[in-house]
Amino acid sequence: MQPVLHDIEKQIIKVLQSDPNLTEEKISQETKLSMDQIRRGVEWLRQKKLADVTETTNISLSLGKNGLDSLKNGLPERRLVTLVQSGPKTFDEIRSSLQGLDFNAAIANAKKNNWINIEKTETGSKISLKQEPIENSDEKIISLISEKNISSKEVASPESLKSLMERPDFIIQHEKKTKAVSLSGKGREIDLAQLDSGAIDVEADVPHVHAARIHPLKDVINEIRETFVHLGFTEILGNLSQSCFWNFDALFTPQDHPARELQDTFYLQGLNAKQLATSTQIKNVSSAHKKGWRYFWDIQEAKKMVLRTHTTCVTIKHLADKKPDEARIFSLGRVFRNEKLSFKHLAEFNQVEGVVVGKHITLRDLMGIQKEFYRKIGLTKVKFWPTFFPYTEPSLQSMVYNEKLGKWIELFGMGIFRPEVTKPLGITKPVLAWGGGIERIAMLKFGLDDVREFYNNNLSWLRTASKCQ
Amino acid sequence: MPVVELNLSRLQKLVGKNVNKKQILDSLPFLGLDIESLEGNIVRVEYSPNRPDYSTDFGIALGLQGILGISKGMLRLDIRKQGNYEIKVDSSTSKIRPFVTGIIARNGSLDNESVKQIINMQEDLHFGLGRKRKKSSIGIHDLDSVFFPLKYSTTSRDHRFIPLNSTKESSISEILQNSEVGSDYGSILGQSAKVPIIIDSKGQTISFPPIINAALTTVTTKTKNILVEVTGIDKQSAEDMLSVVVTILQGAGFQFSQLKVSGSKNSTPNFAPRSIVVDADPVNKILGLNISGSMLLSCLKKCRLDATMKGKKIQCIIPRYRFDIFGGMDIVEEVALGYGIDNLKPAWPASVHIGEKNMTSEKLDSISRLMTGFGFMETLNSTLTSKQILYQMSNRDSSQIISVTSSKSQEHTILRDSILPELLENLSKNIHETYPQKFFESGIVFSKGSPIKETTNLACVTASEETNFSEMKAVLQSLLRIGFNIECETKTLSKHALFSQGRVAEIIVNKKIVGYIGELDSKVLENFRIRTRVVAFELKLSGLIFD
Repeated sequence: MQPVLHDIEKQIIKVLQSDPNLTEEKISQETKLSMDQIRRGVEWLRQKKLADVTETTNISLSLGKNGLDSLKNGLPERRLVTLVQSGPKTFDEIRSSLQGLDFNAAIANAKKNNWINIEKTETGSKISLKQEPIENSDEKIISLISEKNISSKEVASPESLKSLMERPDFIIQHEKKTKAVSLSGKGREIDLAQLDSGAIDVEADVPHVHAARIHPLKDVINEIRETFVHLGFTEILGNLSQSCFWNFDALFTPQDHPARELQDTFYLQGLNAKQLATSTQIKNVSSAHKKGWRYFWDIQEAKKMVLRTHTTCVTIKHLADKKPDEARIFSLGRVFRNEKLSFKHLAEFNQVEGVVVGKHITLRDLMGIQKEFYRKIGLTKVKFWPTFFPYTEPSLQSMVYNEKLGKWIELFGMGIFRPEVTKPLGITKPVLAWGGGIERIAMLKFGLDDVREFYNNNLSWLRTASKCQ
Repeated sequence: MPVVELNLSRLQKLVGKNVNKKQILDSLPFLGLDIESLEGNIVRVEYSPNRPDYSTDFGIALGLQGILGISKGMLRLDIRKQGNYEIKVDSSTSKIRPFVTGIIARNGSLDNESVKQIINMQEDLHFGLGRKRKKSSIGIHDLDSVFFPLKYSTTSRDHRFIPLNSTKESSISEILQNSEVGSDYGSILGQSAKVPIIIDSKGQTISFPPIINAALTTVTTKTKNILVEVTGIDKQSAEDMLSVVVTILQGAGFQFSQLKVSGSKNSTPNFAPRSIVVDADPVNKILGLNISGSMLLSCLKKCRLDATMKGKKIQCIIPRYRFDIFGGMDIVEEVALGYGIDNLKPAWPASVHIGEKNMTSEKLDSISRLMTGFGFMETLNSTLTSKQILYQMSNRDSSQIISVTSSKSQEHTILRDSILPELLENLSKNIHETYPQKFFESGIVFSKGSPIKETTNLACVTASEETNFSEMKAVLQSLLRIGFNIECETKTLSKHALFSQGRVAEIIVNKKIVGYIGELDSKVLENFRIRTRVVAFELKLSGLIFD
């Protein structure tokens, strides 16, 4: 029975049937298939015992620096005999044109070739011509190689080659491994014409293909953004760099609060906000601090620029400027904390925060919205615990049960903005906020235990991470 | 958040009424206490920084008694006015640490565990409320070694006494220079020649606030009677602190006598509770509940507050140590806690809101979809990156660098003004993976402007032996044409740090430069150890496809 063959295999067999022993490179040239395809095809044929592969090492030769010099000017010993052709010369006379190593090599080789005599006289040693120096096998090798790259097999006198190889930088040896492919008896018998029924090997292994794709974390971010939109929230954007006023002061965080210290927050070196807020906003926030925390509120401190530590600064500015009676808005993006990096901490990560503004909105409504949010992203077991956030009251945190880990995990926080936050900014309706870090949810979805993986941009992970969990 | 370690059996005794350990463990989260670990009889819980009374098991027991219904309502402090305990304040303290307050606590007993809990409380108060002892700090002394009246005054830096945990006399300068507490907190006193001191009527040094007590008044497990003093730069914060200490010591079984304080704007501390009146209706409304007045009162009492109905209003009595309660919304939270957060059932509000993505997000999504369609993998890098990647390895001009101060990580010290260097870093990290490699990223970049400008860029690289300029230009033009109906041209640029000369162009849309495209310079590639050809572009999207 004729085997079922892949098109690549057929093409390889075809060229080998007319030319029985070829290298992979040659097959690639003949078939116009890529080296990758040839390697794969040959491997399949070998496994089916239709082809044999013999690996051979070819040595090729080219001239080194000194070899090329000799090609141009002659070997040192040739230059020596040319010098003494016109009559005997002293060592010193010769040294003026043949220096250093060349001199020693020239004397030694010219003597070995029986080209010269060395006589000792009162004025020192003198070199004279012994016999007419005809071209020897060393010189023949140099001109044979010339500026080409030749196979070592082309060299007729291996002894001469050996001695030339011993001389520094005359000849460079290159090793090249080639795979010669030939057909086995079974392979030679294959009748390709008869095979051409159009059938292919549908069971053969195929290579992996990599999909270009949206970053896995971005997939989660997009899913969360879509979910907020489904729940009736409208997205607002804001800057990553913010004044302390909006990041802290407007949220009733006193200026001596530990969260505002350099070791927790990234301050932008030497940068201060030019335009903070409206003068009423500044005046009211300032007096809320003086009243609530009893200290001297310093506007210079509020002007310092920081990388936002939460998206709440964007939300609060929006609410202070627009003062909506009814709204569902959300803000999503990068936030920053001056943290030592670890498997669970990043200095820069993503956060989402939604707020609901309305005269009749209740804490239980916010719990319901959040439960629905989790349901939509596939988290069904949710409970709530009380917690503390500086600018909300009451404050709750949601706990989500993770089946894989077999435990409750703390996810988003929620709460009602304190009147100390909203009142000074002229926000009169209750504002209920909820949100948290996105990477934490993404880690659950992708089963990662090191959050840094999201920002390593490791291609092998990006190419293989499963899209849906 | 701060953490306190609790011994469950001891906590059980403090709560009383045969409450079992499971009830305790189940209830802790509903006081806002997160169980961090549980090993045998020892449980570690995280508590909120606004509740320093939860820094000890005495305070937590008080909360548990309420929520479990064992003992409800406000804990009354019994402070007698008898005895002649007094501290007089010298006006010289007004320039350095103007306020002092305190209490006499008698007939108590402190075992090892109680001492441990009280030290934990003291550290918590020093760190949080006291702002690392700057705003206010506590000293706890053995009452029986002290002779009244005391004097809170100032002294010079060569004043000598034997400090706590020592046997030999030192001068204040020596203490500040040689001891750990001295170097940790000495800066609070600045360069002032005079420093605060508490001295008794026999002239003995009692305390050198806010640094260290004298050895003379060391408290041990044998101590029955104690003196607590709190000094600070803010009178109210010092009294806040004292009120927590008094509440906890009452839990530990002490009886109190007043410490009279006088002189230089100081006065005897007042532990009287406050009263807040709130409307009952809005409390129900904001929680989404409809519970009766008496139920509301019961919820508040479970949170160890006192409350009575006055018509449709709730009059709420707040003990002195609950200074975290500012106003009405805090009362709402207390009601929710007393009601039990697990009894609050999530509801679904009727909504007429139609959600919408921001236009910028929308357009960046289109770009991601198109770029992946062209075969490019999306990467995500930090906007806060390193000088090395952004400028040194990229040979770029760093004169407009924007840095952050005191970063804990070398990889995150400056804000990026370009995305491309990070994509080169991504290629560099992936040299062992198969080629071709194609990456893109869109995101914020920063530049100086009043005071800082944020724009959104798109950067894109292809690394492979076969790639070339035209391939990248084709991607760029197709992206803008298909995605946004924009035509762009590329115009020869004589020089650009990232790209090789003669193979770089400006991207022009409507006669405006919007980016750069070219083949990467071999020196730059060498810096990133990339051994293949790379072509790239970076395009400013702000102002081109959105504002």
